[in-house]
This record gives sequence, C-alpha cells and structure tokens, in this order.
Amino acid sequence: MKRPFYHYVTIGIVVLYLIIPLLGTFLYSFATEWNHTVLPEGLSFEWYQRLFSDSRFIDAFIRSLLISLGTTAIAVLIIVPTVCAVILYAPKLEKYIQAITVMTYAIPGIILAVGLIRSYSDFQLSKILIVMGAYFVCVIPYMYQGTRNSLRNINGAALMEAAEVLGASRWGAFRHVIVPNIIPGILVSALLSFSILFGEFVLINMIVGTRFETVQLYLFAQTSKSGHMASAIVVCYFVLMALITALIIKATSSRKTKKRAAPKKTWFKLTLPKKEAVKS
Amino acid sequence: MSYVAIKNIRKTFNDQTVLHDIELSFEKGELVTLLGPSGCGKSTLLRILAGLTRQDSGTISLDGKDITNLKPKAREIGMVFQSYALFPNMTVLENISFGLKMKKEDSQTIKNKVARMIELTGLEGKENSYPRELSGGQQQRVALARSLVMEPKVLLLDEPLSALDAQIRKKLQQQLRTIQRELKMTMVLVTHDQEEAMAISDRIFILNQGRIAQQGTPNEIYARPANEFVAGFIGNYNVLTKEELARFIPNVANWSHSIYAIRPEAFTLKKDGKSYEITGLINQVSMLGNITRYTIQNDKMTMMIDQLHQTQSTLQENESRTFFLREEDIIPIA
Repeated sequence: MKRPFYHYVTIGIVVLYLIIPLLGTFLYSFATEWNHTVLPEGLSFEWYQRLFSDSRFIDAFIRSLLISLGTTAIAVLIIVPTVCAVILYAPKLEKYIQAITVMTYAIPGIILAVGLIRSYSDFQLSKILIVMGAYFVCVIPYMYQGTRNSLRNINGAALMEAAEVLGASRWGAFRHVIVPNIIPGILVSALLSFSILFGEFVLINMIVGTRFETVQLYLFAQTSKSGHMASAIVVCYFVLMALITALIIKATSSRKTKKRAAPKKTWFKLTLPKKEAVKS
Repeated sequence: MSYVAIKNIRKTFNDQTVLHDIELSFEKGELVTLLGPSGCGKSTLLRILAGLTRQDSGTISLDGKDITNLKPKAREIGMVFQSYALFPNMTVLENISFGLKMKKEDSQTIKNKVARMIELTGLEGKENSYPRELSGGQQQRVALARSLVMEPKVLLLDEPLSALDAQIRKKLQQQLRTIQRELKMTMVLVTHDQEEAMAISDRIFILNQGRIAQQGTPNEIYARPANEFVAGFIGNYNVLTKEELARFIPNVANWSHSIYAIRPEAFTLKKDGKSYEITGLINQVSMLGNITRYTIQNDKMTMMIDQLHQTQSTLQENESRTFFLREEDIIPIA
C-alpha cells in the first residue's frame, strides 16, 4: 500500500524536531568555536579530554554509579522476594503493594525532599542514606511490575506446587524453578531502575546538595561555566543510556525467542545472541 | 484397612461448602476416577489428597499411615497437573530428574530411573528438548514421567488429558492404563469426561455438589445408576417420571417408583422375551458414526433410541415405529 506523501513529511518533521537538539549537543561537544557560523569552525576532542582528566567528573561518575547500583541491588534483593512471596502465598496482600506503587507517583519531588529532610533531620542519619531510602521507594513500581509479570507468565504458583509435590522445599523450589525463569524480567526492571536513578536530580540536589556531587549535579554546575563541557557530559550520559536500553531490548527480545527457540537457561546467553541463533 | 482411606473430609471456601464429609477408600494398584461436572469438588479433593489445599476437618491415611497433616513432599504422593506445570527452564531430562535430584539420589540411580521412564513413556529422542518445543501430548507424557519416576505410592492426575484433542486423548488414555497396569501403580484420576472414566477406571466415584453420588465399577455404574443425577450424567439415559412413562407404556400406575431410567441402546426392533412395546413417531435422526440416534415422540414426550448403524437404514423421519424394551432395562431410580 502506498502511503500519502504528507505522512512522510509529518514523520520527517517530528524526527527533525527530536533529533536536532541531540545533533546540536553532539556537534557542540566536539566544536572548537561555534558562534557566527552555521556549522562549527573546527572539531576537536578537547572537551572530552578535559572532562575525563577532571577528577571531579570521575568522582561524580563513580558516586552516581555507586548510589544507583547500590540502591538497585538492595531493591532487587528486598522487593523481588517480597513480591514473589505475596503473589505465591498471600495474593490478598497484593493490593497494598499496588497502593504503595501508586503513592510514589502521587507525591511531587519537592514535597518529598522537604518532607524527608524535616522527618529525618532529628536523627543522626547520613543524608545519602536518606536519599537511597527515597530512591528505593521510587523504584518499587518498576521492580514490582517486572517481578509480577514474570511470575504470571510462567504461572509461578503452579510451578511451585509441582516442585513441592516432587519433594523440593519451598526455598529449593524458588531457587531452582522460579528464579531461573524470572531472571530476564528482573534484569529489565533492574536496568530500568538503574537508569532512572542515574538521571535523578531533584532529590539528591535538595537533600544532599554539592557535598555529594553526582553526574547530574556536576552537569548542573558545568552548564553555567562551559556549554561545550556540558554538551560533552550529556553525550556521555546518552551513550550510557543507549547501552542500557540496548541491554533491555536484548533481554526482552531474547525472552520472546526463548518461547520459540531453545537457548540455554543462564542469563549469560542474553549477551551471547549469536550462539542462540546457531542453536535455534 | 484400605490402602487409601479418606474419612469425613470437609472443605469450605468463603462460607460455601465444596466437600461435605467425603468418605472414600480404595485399594493398592487400583485406578480410581473422581468423576463429576465442573464445580463438584473433585479437584479440591485431589488437592487435599496431595496436601496442596488444607481440609477443614477429616483424616487421610495411606498404607496404614496417617498423612492428614503431612507436607506435600512427605506424603509420597505424585501429582500430574492439568496445566502440566513443566519447568520451562529445564529440558525433558532435567524435568524428569528434578524430583530425584531433590531427593539427593546418586547420579547413576537417577540416570537409570530416568532412562527407564523415558522409554516407558515413549519420549526417546526428546531428552534435550525444552517443554515449549513439545506438542501437548508429549508435554503430558513428560509430566507423567516426572511424577512416575518418583515411584509414589499414589499418583494423582488432575484432568490430565482435557487439553488435548480427541484422537491423542484416546491414545493417551490407553497408554496411561497400560503404564498403570505395568507398574501396578495406584492412581486417582479426576475427570469430567464420563467416557474417559468408563474406559480406563477400575472404580469410579461420581461426585455431585461435594457429595459422592455413587461409587462402583464402570459396569455397575452404567448398568445401575443409583439416582437421577447419575442417570442424567452417565451415558445418555432417558430419565422419565412414572407419568411420562405412562404415555409409552400403559398400566404403569401400580409401579412402585416414581422415576425410571432407560438406556437408549436397550430398545430393539425385534421382540425378545418379555418386552414392552414402545410406539412413537420418529422425529429426529442423527448419525453418530457407529450408532444412529433416533428421537421418537408420543403425546409430546420424547425418548432417545440408539441403534447400531446399518448400511441400509430402515428407519425414516416421520415414520411411526414400534420398539421393544425388556422389563429389566427399565431401571427404577427413585
């Protein structure tokens, strides 16, 4: 079927609208001077060199990584078993989990930050811990959805019963039967959670501030100093997010092919698509 | 004492009693069927036997041992689920050896037992396939092998064949029966398919609304339905009140019962001993393969009659015919 010409025009305009700022940022991060010309006057790696030799950036990057990875890991360890237990053994409690997941959307970031500071200022708690606690709550919806959907897909309750009748303990059944089958789903949720936390600015800025400078805070500081540097940071950030997105796509799509083809069960295969193709 | 004895099992879900003090028992090596319409409580009873659902009251004993409060894994009872519940992350081989691994048997024993099961269920060549690569019938056989390999004292099967198409179902029914006889395995089959129950059971328990409506061998149940429910559920019995019967057979007024059941194949076209004459207008003819089913009508009352299929069908629609019915084929029900 031939589509009318204006379809292409509309899509073209939307794509341009979306891509021009990215392209501009990308070019600006490589530009030497770009003031009076349509295209940059020259290209160089200067800004990237300066960025990666700036220990402040490296430190900020490590801090972001630590706080996001740490919170995600804690979330996986606590939320996944909780959701599994609720869905398999106490489905009546599921509505409370659902209520919690909605709550995190209902409260605006500013109010959350002020509220957290006022509630916890009396305790001698590290501000970073407070932020991590808030982050944990923020990722509950993603972890909950991912775990629940994976369990539903494999009919977890029936598999648990089958394993128990075959002589497995509850823990054994969970470890050998449930976990291997929900790992792709958990992986997606974890990556999603990680990328959301990595880009978080409001809470960390309001509660901890520049004493614990993350990539987002560093970026904010740089925007007032050098547009080139800020652009370089944004490009780096996009590259990281693109990588995570690619991983998510790979994880979800290999889950689909699993239904048809016959890959091995370990999640390493998620990173080895070629082997899979040979097998199928 | 019976091999398996279930006493006074009662179960209530949200104020609704699904099992009313069920009592049933059966012997070692028997294949018994719990037969009933959906919602009669047969699956719940099976889950209680397996230890997956807790009864409100009552006791269960197996091989002289009280297993009422034991966990599923301590009962030495196997179960094949309606959905098969095969582990999607494991191959056929891994699925079948799962239970033995959990029991920490040594690997040589596991290998031997699993190989035997694969042979018995005809799964050779599928050892390294994943469940999703198998057909429904093959998945069913993996589920069966996975339970059988544990050598349970009793194997429970929850509508194991209901998801398969008719031809494979018939074949697997026979295979199930053959395996059961070969291993002398005690099996409890839950089904809503009366033909399936008739075909493979040693004994049938018919459940209706949480109560046992009748128990007996397939023959006993088919020949002598004990009540109106069983007569209506088994075969294609004509169930008639005395008044309705009076339209076909005169002078039934002094008969003792008020409801009677007649098998549709009990009618003959030739007189045979002491028989009643049943006359009516044939108003429907349907061809069911090896039999032809006629509906005859007399004074607005209809009766179903099955005749073995003949190459030259002698009966036509809108034809008035007389059939003969032996006295003992009119079964008093209530």
